[in-house]
Amino acid sequence: MAQSNLEKQLNILDYALSSLWRHRLKSLSVLLVFAAVIFLLASFQMVTQALSDKAKQVLTHTPEITLQKMSAGRQEAIPLAYRDKLAGIFGIRRVVPRIWGYYFDEVRLANSTVMGMAVDEMPEGNRLDAALAKGAMPGPDEQGRVVVGHSITKALDLAGRTTFSLFRPDLSLKPFEVSGEFSRDTDILTNDLIVMNLADARDLFSIPAGLVTDLCVYVANPKEIDTIAKKISETLPSVRVLTRPQIQKTYQVVFGWRSGFGSICLLSALAAFVILAWDKASGLSPEERREIAILKVLGWETSDILAVRFWESVIVSGLACLVGMTAAYIHVVYCAAALFRPVLMGWSVLRPDLHLLPRMAVGDILLIFAFTVIPYLAATVIPAWRSATVPADSALGG
Amino acid sequence: MFLNPWSLALSLCSLVVLVLGAVAAKTAVRVLRFWEPGSDSNRQIRLENEIWLSSTLVAYGLGFQIITLILFVLAADEFCQVIVGAMCATGALLANPYGMPALLVKLFGVFFYGFWILLHQLDIRSEHYPLVRIKYLALLLLLPMLVLDASLQTLYIAGIKPDIITSCCAVVFGESTGGGTNLITGYSQQGLLIAFIASIAVLMIVGGRLLQRWHAWLAGLYAAGWLWFFVLSLVVITTVISSYVYAMPYHKCPFCILKPEYHYFGFGLYGALIPAAFFGASVPLAGLVRGRGGLGGVVDRYQRLAVRLSLVLLVIFSGLSFYHYLKYLISGGEG
Amino acid sequence: MLIELSGVSKIYNQGRANEVRALSDIDLTVEQGCMVCLKGPSGSGKSTLLAIIGCIFPPTSGRAAIAERQLARLPDRFLTLHRRETIGFIFQRFNILPELTVLENITLPLLPLGVPPKERRQRAQELLKRFGITHRAQFPAGQISGGELQRVAIARALINNQPIILADEPTAHLDTGLSREFMAIMLQLKEAGKTIVIASHDPLVFEHPAIDRTVTIKDGRIHVP
Repeated sequence: MAQSNLEKQLNILDYALSSLWRHRLKSLSVLLVFAAVIFLLASFQMVTQALSDKAKQVLTHTPEITLQKMSAGRQEAIPLAYRDKLAGIFGIRRVVPRIWGYYFDEVRLANSTVMGMAVDEMPEGNRLDAALAKGAMPGPDEQGRVVVGHSITKALDLAGRTTFSLFRPDLSLKPFEVSGEFSRDTDILTNDLIVMNLADARDLFSIPAGLVTDLCVYVANPKEIDTIAKKISETLPSVRVLTRPQIQKTYQVVFGWRSGFGSICLLSALAAFVILAWDKASGLSPEERREIAILKVLGWETSDILAVRFWESVIVSGLACLVGMTAAYIHVVYCAAALFRPVLMGWSVLRPDLHLLPRMAVGDILLIFAFTVIPYLAATVIPAWRSATVPADSALGG
Repeated sequence: MFLNPWSLALSLCSLVVLVLGAVAAKTAVRVLRFWEPGSDSNRQIRLENEIWLSSTLVAYGLGFQIITLILFVLAADEFCQVIVGAMCATGALLANPYGMPALLVKLFGVFFYGFWILLHQLDIRSEHYPLVRIKYLALLLLLPMLVLDASLQTLYIAGIKPDIITSCCAVVFGESTGGGTNLITGYSQQGLLIAFIASIAVLMIVGGRLLQRWHAWLAGLYAAGWLWFFVLSLVVITTVISSYVYAMPYHKCPFCILKPEYHYFGFGLYGALIPAAFFGASVPLAGLVRGRGGLGGVVDRYQRLAVRLSLVLLVIFSGLSFYHYLKYLISGGEG
Repeated sequence: MLIELSGVSKIYNQGRANEVRALSDIDLTVEQGCMVCLKGPSGSGKSTLLAIIGCIFPPTSGRAAIAERQLARLPDRFLTLHRRETIGFIFQRFNILPELTVLENITLPLLPLGVPPKERRQRAQELLKRFGITHRAQFPAGQISGGELQRVAIARALINNQPIILADEPTAHLDTGLSREFMAIMLQLKEAGKTIVIASHDPLVFEHPAIDRTVTIKDGRIHVP
């Protein structure tokens, strides 16, 4: 019996396919509108998800705890001497001073990130050596050597040359020599980055000796981040302690909020579509009534007609999902979400040449499915039942 | 935290299911009030048609329920990224007192829909529709359940405030802490495994006996055995099997196995266990309505089928359960 | 006795203002292998009677047994299940779905029975061959001639090998030649052992020599002249 039941469902599926084909104009219009709605929702979901992934990726390179000195609510330089005060805290692997700033190139109107850091002091795994396409990181004693990101190479038009100069605040020139270049894989991190050693950065920004912009704290056991952060803020009350998980969660909330907000906007599109679907499904033409009545006289049960309608809905929504999600993926990956760019630019980390690569796990597909297919199926079930209960005797007479 | 795509999707699904449930409940009320077997009045014809509406709605409800159940767990897994201290779905679900009850109600819902569909399928096999009243009384219970489900879920989502410190799964199920948050403690792994294997063996033997010769008391025992086994399996999955899947002795979480990192292993595991428990538990339930007009043969056939199905699924479930464990033993701990 | 009706009545919209008594107190028995014609003007109730014999709806009162099964008090679902095993229907204007092919039209009753496609095609081919329309199998049914359409409709009524064939005004829209051909096929089927009931007020049908009995319906009752 199970065997013939399966055969029956296959036969009904077959009939549903041919029925969709016979009403191809109607099916196609529903399919296209549905696919467009799914496309919008899926693109939005994929963009925010890819962005939050990128942010997470960026954050894995940041130190577990970052210390900044606050004064009048604003950040200011932090004395190197604070390192000694931290020495007593158990669990801290290393404290690395860092000068982190932005350099605005008035000639080329480009902003770049300058990081001065004792690169060799960073613990294994957090180093940026792995990200180098060629060359080597500047050593602690090598004056004037830098490693640059891709957009810097381009902006400075360094083809062939390895030297360039930047202005100090007093407008005197400081010469640099490029000793390495970051690979494009880490563009999100390193695209506009210039890495030099601490002394060079101090010289460039004219920061007095004994001061840096922030202190990076690396801990031995990531599970103790919170405890150590607490101890640090007890020892140094005037310092802002930023932990990596905290930053991560803040990002997550922001991205979640964003995509939630976007979804709400797109829900109106979905609502409009559901109304359309209901309308299309409930309008029963005389030909359709006649067809159903004939089928019923020929021995089709009400549940068989319902199954035809169910398969029709499943095929339409399945195809629409496939089309919509594929289009969304192409839109996000190959067109860099061109449609949402005006919305997303400005309030995100999205850079003009950012390459987004969303991961599509079962969960993400299920999420889009829940947003689109479930309302569609629900909207078509009652019209489907109405059509399935056309009485058989209306095929007789007349 | 409603402004999040997962919360929105869950709320949307709940809304849809509530609307469908309300329509089904309306049908139930009409059928209970006006059902007149044998009449050919227009009202009776309409009611006979409405039977198909309600059964379709419940079937859709079952499908949606399964999807929202998965979605709920995945959403919790997503929420844990914004809740400080929660490292996976367990922590997120325990972030407020509504998470676990909501999950349990959803799981219960799957069984409820399943039993209703079983009742319906048995009912329409007899030309007297002998179970109409029972069926629609049961359907009336659906609406409060859906309301409970939606309320718990809404309370849970509303209660998720980013930055609440919760326990992550390493704390909740781990052995390292002795705190009161530990959900499952005090069982030795060895003892659990022995009970688990023994239960599988007993179920196999009882099921095999049932197929040879049918006794009502044995069927009852079989179903009771399945209920026990279902709970036991959830405990064993959490405390023993999951850590072998993760290959980490202190990672004990019943939800992480659903993630792509572990090849969606959990879907196979729960996909075998839940239907197996359903079929096993449904055996005496179907037996309860055997006496009703003309259902004897149908019920007998169903019961045998259910026992067979539950045994096949049990074999699959056991195979999946021990797969990682045996791999671990054979590969000498490197698995 | 394949068809056995006693005291059958049908009332539409019972207990309402628009109550219609379509059939009153019908007694009718048809043995296997008989061909019976239900005669009467339109609105006389012969379509309702045909629908009851065809298990489309149960009678309001009275006993109706079709192929040894009582129809009274049978829910719609079981009427359908019984109908598809016992009754082959030929509709007025044949009610063929014009966008489906001839083959698809003929095999429609087999789909909910779970008959696999290969067997469906095989059974349909046999009938197509028997009626000489094999070459039309893949044609859309809307594009074939009236005579072919008629044979498709008959083939569809035979596809599940049902013992009873019911025809509702089959010749109403046919010319004399095709009507004669229709009756010739009915005669063949009768000789093959089918039980046939035709509702018609066409003299070409009820005066046909193959008809064993003509039952006249008038105002919902069997009229005895």
